[in-house]
Amino acid sequence: MMQSEFNKTKVCIADKHFIHRLGVKTILSVIGIEPDLYEADSLETTLSCLSEINDVKYLIVAQDVLHPKLNKSLRKIKNQNPNAKLLVVCDGPCQAVPGAKLITENDTRQEVLEKFQNFFFHSEPESTDNDSALLSERETEVLKTVALGYSNKETAEKLFISINTVISHRKNITEKLGIKTIAGLTVYAVMHDLIKPEDVKA
Amino acid sequence: MTQQYKMNNNLPFTPKIKMADVIHLDFRLIPIIGRFGIEYGFSNKSVEEVCNDYGINTCFFLEIINSYHNQDYFPQKELQNFSASLIVDYLANTHDYYLNVKVPEIEGYIKQIKDEVSIENLKNIELLSNFFSEYKIELENHLNREDSIVFPYISYLEKVVSTNTIDNEVVEKIKAESIEQYARNHENMELKLSDLKNLIMRHLPPVVCKEVCQKLLTELFRLEADLEDHSRIEDKVLVPKVILLEQQILEANDAK
Repeated sequence: MMQSEFNKTKVCIADKHFIHRLGVKTILSVIGIEPDLYEADSLETTLSCLSEINDVKYLIVAQDVLHPKLNKSLRKIKNQNPNAKLLVVCDGPCQAVPGAKLITENDTRQEVLEKFQNFFFHSEPESTDNDSALLSERETEVLKTVALGYSNKETAEKLFISINTVISHRKNITEKLGIKTIAGLTVYAVMHDLIKPEDVKA
Repeated sequence: MTQQYKMNNNLPFTPKIKMADVIHLDFRLIPIIGRFGIEYGFSNKSVEEVCNDYGINTCFFLEIINSYHNQDYFPQKELQNFSASLIVDYLANTHDYYLNVKVPEIEGYIKQIKDEVSIENLKNIELLSNFFSEYKIELENHLNREDSIVFPYISYLEKVVSTNTIDNEVVEKIKAESIEQYARNHENMELKLSDLKNLIMRHLPPVVCKEVCQKLLTELFRLEADLEDHSRIEDKVLVPKVILLEQQILEANDAK
C-alpha cells in the first residue's frame, strides 16, 4: 500500500555533484521508495524543475545549491512550491531552516537512513486524526448550514458562494466523513457540537 | 417451465448438493434459507429433495442463493422467467424478515449500548438511536407500501394475463399506476444504513461495551448487504418483468 502510493510520488534531488545525487538515489531504493525522480544541479534548475513539474512532494537539496544566501534561496523555493517537503543536506548544524529536515556531516549511516525514513513515511501531525483538520473551515461552514436543513440554494445565499461551490463542498464533505444523507450529516454536526439540535429546521 | 429450465452446472450450488453443505459453504445464506420457510433437521437431503418437501421451486431457490452468494453472478434473464408471484412472495417474506427480525435485533443492540454507555457518550448514542428510529419509520413505510399496493398490483396483472380477462378496469389501472412510477420513486434504503455504520465506525467516541457495538455494526453490514440484494431483485428483475406484463395487457387490449 505504502509502496504503491509512493510509486507516483515526485521527488526532486538538487545537488551540484552527480555522484551525490546518485548516492541519494541509492538511499531511496534502500528504504524502498521508487518515485518519479527529477534532478537539478543548481538553484536555477531546481526552481525551474519545481515550476515545470506540478506537485513535487519532496525536495532533497544540498547546501551548496542554496549558496550564498541560504534563507533567501529557501524562500524562493517555498514560493515556487509551498507544499514540497524539504530535506537539506548540510555541513554542520546550520541556522534554523523553518519546516525543513536536516542531514549533517555528523550523522552516521544509520542516522541518515532513519532521517530519510522519517522524511518520507511520517506525515505531519496536523494532517492526522484531528477533526478540525478533517474538514476545512469553509467545508465546516457548509456542513453546518446543510445540517441545519438549508437547501443547497439557501446555503449558497447564506454563505455568499455559488451553488456549484456548495455542491463541490458537499461532495468533499461526504467523501471525507463517509456520510451521504442530510440526516446523517445532522447527526455528525450535533455530535461534534457544530450545531444545536433545537436549531435544526423542521 | 421448471422442467425446461437449464441450470448452469458450474455454479457452486446445484440441485444435488446437500442442503447442509450449502450452509457450510456460505453461512450468510442462513437467513435466506430461513425465509423460504425451510426448517433445520434436513439430514442428508439434497437441495432438490428439501425443496420438494416444502413445495419450493428448486431452480428459483438456487438462483436466489447463487446470486446472493456471489455478488457478480446475477442471472437477470433467468430470474425474470419465474412467475411474478414467486418473486413477489420471496420479496414479501424478506420484508417480514427485515421488520420482524433484523430491525428489532438492531434496536435491541442500540438499547443495550444506551444502557451501558458513559454519560458523556449518552448524547451521541441517543442521536444514533433517533437516527435509526427515523430510518425504521421510513423503512416500514417503504416496505408497507410495496406490500399493500405494489405487490397486489403485480399479482393482479399476472392473474389478468393468465386468465385472459383483460377489461377496461385493468387498462385504467395500468395507466393510473404503472410500475414505472414506482421504479422512479424507488428510494435507496441502504444510504442511511451506510451513514449509520460510518457514524459508529469513524465518528462515535469509543463506547464501554465494545462487544455489543461490534454486534451492532455486524448486523448493520448484514442488513445493508441484504437490502442491496433485495433492491437488485426489485429493480432488475421485478420491474422489467412487470413492464412486460403491462405492455402485454395494453397491446392485447389495443388488438381487441
